[in-house]
Amino acid sequence: MERCLTELEERPDDRELLADIFRAVHTIKGTTGFLGFSRLESLAHTGENLLGVLRDGKLLANADVISGLLALLDILREILHSIESTGHEGNGDDATTIHRLKALQSGSREDDHTDIASGPAEDATQPQKPLPAKKRTRKSKGTAVAEENVGIAKPQDETNAIEVYQAERQTVQMRSVANTSESTLRVDVDLLNRMMNLVGELVLTRNQILQVVGTDASLALLSRRLDMVTADLREAVMKARMQPVSHVFSKFPRMVRDLAQQLNKRVRLVMEGQETELDKSLLEAIKDPLTHSVRNAIDHGIEMPHVRQAAGKDSEGTLRLRAYQEGSHVVIEVSDDGGGMKVERIRDKALERRLITRERAAQLTDRELMQLIFLPGFSTAEAITNVSGRGVGMDVVRTNVEKIGGKVEVDSRPGKGTTLRLRIPLTLAIVPALIVHSRGQCFALPQGALSELVHLSSNQIKTQVEWMEGAALYRLRGKLLPLVFLGSLLKQDESADKECEAYIAVLNAEGRRYGLVVDSLADPEEIVVKPLSSVLKQIGLFSGATVLGNGAMALILDPGAIATQSGIGMALEDDEPEVVNANAEESSAEYLLMESATEYAAVPLDSVLRIERIPRAQVERLNGISVLRFDGTVLPLKDRTGEDMSTTAGGEMTVVVCRDGERHVGVAVAQVLDVASGKRLSEAGTNNAPADVILLKDRVTSIVDLKQIPPLSGDRTFHEGLSETRKDEIVEALA
Amino acid sequence: MIFLQTPAHDDAIEMCSVRVGQTLYGIPVMSILEILGKPAKQPVPLAPSYIGGLVHYRGEVLTTVSLRRLLNMPSHDAMEDILVFEGSDGYFGLLVDEVGEVMTVSPADFESNPSTLDDRRKALFAGTYKLSNALLVMLDPERLDPVNLAETASA
Repeated sequence: MERCLTELEERPDDRELLADIFRAVHTIKGTTGFLGFSRLESLAHTGENLLGVLRDGKLLANADVISGLLALLDILREILHSIESTGHEGNGDDATTIHRLKALQSGSREDDHTDIASGPAEDATQPQKPLPAKKRTRKSKGTAVAEENVGIAKPQDETNAIEVYQAERQTVQMRSVANTSESTLRVDVDLLNRMMNLVGELVLTRNQILQVVGTDASLALLSRRLDMVTADLREAVMKARMQPVSHVFSKFPRMVRDLAQQLNKRVRLVMEGQETELDKSLLEAIKDPLTHSVRNAIDHGIEMPHVRQAAGKDSEGTLRLRAYQEGSHVVIEVSDDGGGMKVERIRDKALERRLITRERAAQLTDRELMQLIFLPGFSTAEAITNVSGRGVGMDVVRTNVEKIGGKVEVDSRPGKGTTLRLRIPLTLAIVPALIVHSRGQCFALPQGALSELVHLSSNQIKTQVEWMEGAALYRLRGKLLPLVFLGSLLKQDESADKECEAYIAVLNAEGRRYGLVVDSLADPEEIVVKPLSSVLKQIGLFSGATVLGNGAMALILDPGAIATQSGIGMALEDDEPEVVNANAEESSAEYLLMESATEYAAVPLDSVLRIERIPRAQVERLNGISVLRFDGTVLPLKDRTGEDMSTTAGGEMTVVVCRDGERHVGVAVAQVLDVASGKRLSEAGTNNAPADVILLKDRVTSIVDLKQIPPLSGDRTFHEGLSETRKDEIVEALA
Repeated sequence: MIFLQTPAHDDAIEMCSVRVGQTLYGIPVMSILEILGKPAKQPVPLAPSYIGGLVHYRGEVLTTVSLRRLLNMPSHDAMEDILVFEGSDGYFGLLVDEVGEVMTVSPADFESNPSTLDDRRKALFAGTYKLSNALLVMLDPERLDPVNLAETASA
């Protein structure tokens, strides 16, 4: 704009140039008004008026007008700088400039505009002005406009203050120029990609050098330096590709608002951790899954305002977008405080759409049922709207996230809301992978999909791999795991010795679980993914190729594509150890083992929500029940520490927050020990297994009965069975 | 190796000679980016038969086309030289038994493919140059581009 203005001075009647400037100022006005920067807006508005007069040809752009406009530009820039550094417009006085521009504008009618416009004002506001004579002389030079008008607005200032102001303006201008042009640089993404490739190359060369380095001490030292520098360089280049997630988040406020309006819902969007950074290509890749998730949360998650009010919730729903880094992953959470997922409804819908069989549905746990939403074709929406309901949504979310090596987790509580967690790796270019061999050839298996490895000796292959009409199966902890033999899948030479041992890599890809049988394993390696040519991409089983530390090349296997080609169907187990049916007689369900003062106690692991360490002083009493306050909610507490509250008031205790049906309860213990699977004990002489005793880690342990923790309101008859709590109270009353 | 002295005149073409089996082939020098001497190749399972494997080339993964396999000749175990070309889908390599020297040929000596040649070879060869004591079969890198080969193979 500065350049345009100076050009305008040279060619005052250039219409196009004027139009350009007018547009620029108009844009500033529009944007700043929209963003609520009133100071910028009023300035831009005045500028626009003046330019309008210029454009209409009522006024010819002379030096005065141009310098006035340039002064306006300076102030605009100063404010922008202030916004950039502090987030506020600053509190400068703009009356001067506005006044001056207005004066210039009115100059289209009056030739001697400066005197008329400023003369009376000067008399009125500056009767005691110290250096009027000096001012007059300056005015005669024709450059006095700026000083004089500044003087009008700041009557209390001396003339030298005016000069200081101008000097300041210059430095401000310099600073802002430095800020926008020197500290950052626009770099072509292609160049960054190329740099990333080269760094990847360097990493590979380093790996090879590290393997070659033998006994030579100085070479070992040098190679270690190379190792360090390479690692730093890699990090720096990766950092250059990072962008804050706000780039993706920024479009959501608008989207959420539009969607909410469309659906007649009231939704408040809360965004956290927008500064979390992610590789640019990954940011692009999560755009769609995230959009889907947000749409889903608003459409399915958050209820209509009247439903929310009926449920005792704020009629305005809250949608929370949260991004944070966790190790080498960035986690993006989309959580709503809506109705949560109704497991029964998910099951019914899945049955209705014939996604699972009735028998299968009956066997599934709630957690597994929730995973059903990721099946293609699944939707619980009653009607297909243009927001969602077509049944392409969650499976797209999962497929897209897994494509970039990420994971999707879902956690939902009826009535409380749903949280969808997208776990994204920090970078795509370098992937941890396990190198496997098949028939003497190396392949890289991305570790993201790998859940465990099983070794089979040549004998075990014969005995433990079972065949069902040509389909190979392996019993992994009692469940049948379909096997895919990499060698035969790739139609590699079968002449290799079949008597050798093998490994099963248990893979979890896009919700499908299977074992990939390979001949042997090598070290895990960080590999740099190189794309394949289109001819080889058509094979479909490889997602790329890489060069290994030893210089050999390896093809990168695509676990999802292998599953598809081998016809592996959806399995609903997830990575976590399977929760064994609780009503089975030989229950080996897992328990959280806790230590109180004298004895061991346990709670079923699946009821545990979280574990917190809090000072004992936080415990309060309510109707004779120990309670804890947790961000606005009251948690009934069962004290199993066995210590006297009054004597250990200063100490800390561990509170295990558990789920008991709909409510949450806390169990206070001295410390948490371990997770173990337990074995029922039967009482001596009888065949009855007491419900609250279990053998954990070879110790008799009592199970805390969460139901015995008294409710805070309502059913008082419940207190009847609370002998132990009562006892505690009595003990405390006596003490 | 065959030596040929052709007076250099204006439209003389420089050809890089390569040998596969007993036949001498010629490829315009200007189309060749680089010649790699006998690098290690990584075979690609399930790839079309004419794919000779992958080679590490300047930080990229180079897909190679085996001329031997294209011509249905038995593959041999010896290491092969690779000519690197730029194709429509990035670089690709051509596996040949041996790269010979550069020779200059004159367009006057060019003849198109004989009609008795089998269809497969007709599609691959661009014609031939008559040398004093042999024939130099002209290869067109564009026809050897794996992308184009995929199309002709499926057609």
